[in-house]
Amino acid sequence: MNKHTVAIQFIVITVLALSIYSCKHKEDEYHNVIEKIEAKSKEYKGVTVSSESYFDNIELIEISEDGTSFLIPDRKNQIQSYACTECHSKPLQDMENTDLKKAHWDIEIVHANENTMNCTTCHNPENMDNLKSLTSNHIDFNASYQLCSQCHTKQFEDWKGGAHGKEIGGWAPPRASLTCVNCHNPHNPAFGTKWPARFNTQKIKERK
Amino acid sequence: MSNNNKKWFSLNLNSRKKESNTCGCGNASGGCHSNAPKQELSEKEFFDAAVNASIGEERTRDGFDQVFDVKMDRRSAFKKLTASLLIGAGAVSTSCSVITDDETKEKAQIDWEEQFKGNYKLMSDDEKKATVDRLVRSYQLRTGKTISMSSKNAEADVLFGYAFNISKCQGYMDCVSACVKENNQDRSSQMQYIRIHEMKDGKGLSFDEADDNYYHEVPAEGHFYLGTQCFHCDNPPCVEVCPVQATWREDDGLVVVDYDWCVGCRYCMAACPYDGRRFNWSKPEVPENEVNHNQHYLGNRMRKKGVMEKCTFCVQRSRSGKNPACVEACPTGARVFGNLLDPNSTIRWVLENKKVFRLKEDLGTEPKFWYYMD
Repeated sequence: MNKHTVAIQFIVITVLALSIYSCKHKEDEYHNVIEKIEAKSKEYKGVTVSSESYFDNIELIEISEDGTSFLIPDRKNQIQSYACTECHSKPLQDMENTDLKKAHWDIEIVHANENTMNCTTCHNPENMDNLKSLTSNHIDFNASYQLCSQCHTKQFEDWKGGAHGKEIGGWAPPRASLTCVNCHNPHNPAFGTKWPARFNTQKIKERK
Repeated sequence: MSNNNKKWFSLNLNSRKKESNTCGCGNASGGCHSNAPKQELSEKEFFDAAVNASIGEERTRDGFDQVFDVKMDRRSAFKKLTASLLIGAGAVSTSCSVITDDETKEKAQIDWEEQFKGNYKLMSDDEKKATVDRLVRSYQLRTGKTISMSSKNAEADVLFGYAFNISKCQGYMDCVSACVKENNQDRSSQMQYIRIHEMKDGKGLSFDEADDNYYHEVPAEGHFYLGTQCFHCDNPPCVEVCPVQATWREDDGLVVVDYDWCVGCRYCMAACPYDGRRFNWSKPEVPENEVNHNQHYLGNRMRKKGVMEKCTFCVQRSRSGKNPACVEACPTGARVFGNLLDPNSTIRWVLENKKVFRLKEDLGTEPKFWYYMD
């Protein structure tokens, strides 16, 4: 055995030892949290807690859109004067200029401009109990999100995924989310300005 | 006590479960009050007397004198001996005396057990339950109110994560109010875990120019809002620096504090790059009718002076499947909370489909709190 082989052997052993000990891979050690999430969620078996008890008697219906299904609040039983046909028994023209009690007088559309929207863009004058799509298909009041999603496609995608809107109950399955009209008044959908809920007077003192 | 698995020593002062009527002083019969001083001292008087007897004039001396100018003559040696005897006798007299009522005895017993309990992190489930029961009973004895306190452990297959939509937040601060209410934070110092930063459009995330204590109608023209709180880092620097291991990362990712183990050194406060931790400079005060009675040992139970606290993603809520109070209170839906290990959760959808970022990502702290935009 000459000096050369000994040197090579020494180098090989050192490199091997270094490669084994330098990267300390413990069982629970990942390079970053995303790697950890990806690895650990492969064996995801579900959780024992459930959101169901936190729905607080809110009537929910299940919807399924493009492979995602979740619960949204029932809308029809929340609308004060549903079914519409209880009053709208005649065509609209016949109801104008009569001595009927004024209804919906307080509704003002602050939603897009006049070229884009008026009442009949969404409401069906032929059948008041249903909404109507841009191509005059019936849309149920419980599925009003289908109406909004005709224009607000990005928001619709985010809502389906869970990036837009608000969850009911908790994080645990089953998933229940508020639908568009639970937060946005369809006739005036923008959020207004208001005063913050609190003001920290102590911080002012401390920072003087 | 009958439980032999304890990792700390317990003095059997007034155990309700005791088999014989032997009491702490060793007298099996005749009552031990005969050995203890007959007159009852009030708690404060007793404390003062004990402190006076044990350190006496050292109360007024400075640290140098205390260390280098020690007169240990016969007199002071006797003084110190008497003091320790008095303290021992006091504890025994409170708990064994027939004059003292049962409640006082029980209080003393609970205080003793609480004083010498171990670190929550090392406790078995039984020990966790025992300390929670003691705290509930102690609160009942002191205030007459019944609270519920949980010691629920992290669930398997859960890793909590949070996402915050900076295009949706309008700066209403409903989250801050809900958080203070839920977590029994000190009202007098107006402690809050969440800060909402009002940032100027077009200036990037410049925290030094942002205002976190605005009071005008919001959203203000030309501004956006970004909230910060504890990010529950996966590699938390605050945990590394704690000299007594009073703070740690639970299996579901929550970074928690054992308020009874914390010594108040505030190293963690200095180590946190996100200003996520708060310190109780004074005794936290919450009006009795505003106390949230649904508590968790690691969460919103009442804190004391001189300990750290922080956001726990409302452990008392999140471990039972609910969303944290801030998420529930947000009127804009800017806050998304969920289980990062559930491939179908909304938080996972946000991470996989939105453009997300975290604060100071280069530090390697791996916060589990992402920001995103519409």
